[in-house]
Amino acid sequence: MDDDETRATIAEMLASGLETEVWPRAGTSEEVNEIVARLQVEAGQDLEKKLVIAGFTDHTIEADEIEQPCETCMYYKVHAKFCELPELMVPVEPEWSCRLWRI
Amino acid sequence: MANLLWLQGGACSGNTMSFLNAEEPSACDLVTDFGINVLWQPSLGLELGDQVKAIVEKCISGEIKLDIFVFEGTVINAPDGTGEWNRFCGRPMKEWVKELSAVADFVVAIGDCATYGGIPATAPNPSDSVGLQFLKRDKGGALGEGFAAKSGLPVINIPGCPAHPDWVTQILVAVATGRAGDLTLDEFHRPKTFFSSFTQTGCTRNMHFAYKVSTTAFGQRKGCLFYDLGCRGPMTHSPCNRILWNRHSSKTRAGMPCLGCTEPEFPFFDLAPGTVFKTQTVMGVPKDMPEGVDKKGYIKLTSAAKGAAPAWAEEDIFVV
Ligand code: SF4
Ligand code: SF4
Ligand code: SF4
Repeated sequence: MDDDETRATIAEMLASGLETEVWPRAGTSEEVNEIVARLQVEAGQDLEKKLVIAGFTDHTIEADEIEQPCETCMYYKVHAKFCELPELMVPVEPEWSCRLWRI
Repeated sequence: MANLLWLQGGACSGNTMSFLNAEEPSACDLVTDFGINVLWQPSLGLELGDQVKAIVEKCISGEIKLDIFVFEGTVINAPDGTGEWNRFCGRPMKEWVKELSAVADFVVAIGDCATYGGIPATAPNPSDSVGLQFLKRDKGGALGEGFAAKSGLPVINIPGCPAHPDWVTQILVAVATGRAGDLTLDEFHRPKTFFSSFTQTGCTRNMHFAYKVSTTAFGQRKGCLFYDLGCRGPMTHSPCNRILWNRHSSKTRAGMPCLGCTEPEFPFFDLAPGTVFKTQTVMGVPKDMPEGVDKKGYIKLTSAAKGAAPAWAEEDIFVV
């Protein structure tokens, strides 16, 4: 699957109601580490588990009065529309969001 | 001719090793070209035992004029304030330090341990270590806040873990050649000539800092180390990217984050697990901002810069 196909697949999974762990957001560095560790151990290369554990949504989530879209996230590659977080490495859309967002 | 005595407290000798690698000027140039007479230095001195003690006692009595007293390492106070854990020439080192500092024209603290306590003073600070005039950010240290050497200057602090060799030799030359009056010190007694700019000043990754492109692993030439790997370059006062290490590189040029070793709080977060080489965040926003930037401004700036980043900024431009 190329990136466009994978992106469409993810969009379809999210639109059809895949329940992901949107909350709680990763508030502290310790919480970030816990989620990342779960991605490494529980998800591996399993796309659905990645989306669930990272708390993917196909719309932007606001937490602590800060909007958290992929578009402004440190791991987002603007031109490739790609999430470069080593444990995720998935194509995304700018308005999507996950709880590992960081700026 | 300026007499220099160099002693070492709670330290790893890293600053001596750094000093011996100096090039502009070198340790030898200090003697041959700038008239510095090294009375004794732990790695260079030929004297041992009672011979060293005699030199130190003559400095204190005034028989030998002590122009520059250099101290490397922390002043150790354990156990129970006695300093007995660090004995030198038959007495606690802390007593020699006080008496030598009182007679020296200039007192120079070299390295993070001697300046602010450094790694030995990290909580729980088992050796009860302090720097010469500071413990981390707090004034005082071994000599007290009000201390001034005979020249009128407080302890001149050259921090770093270790300090860059040329920072050491250039300051020693300035002092030995009567140009100490040209030195201005910042609030932590660091010579401003070296410590007003930031590690980030001159960093080759500034383009990637500006476009918010992150390095994701050590040694990558692409990206900036601030966003993920905990680089403290934007808030650390040092000339590490202006006066290069080994004349041709620096940590950040080699893909290693700046640890902020010239700042009084070093090592940051008391080396708690997960805090080293990892940007600390609260709700996805870095805990420590580039100096002078607030959280709102940072979010605005970052969002705008990210949106404006050109495609090449996301590629590895360092092709062979
Ligand atoms: S880490 Fe960032 S870019 Fe990646 S999915 Fe989460 S919010 Fe989007
Ligand atoms: S790597 Fe560090 S010093 Fe260099 S631009 Fe990035 S934050 Fe600044
Ligand atoms: S780059 Fe940072 S940690 Fe390294 S020597 Fe310079 S100030 Fe210290």
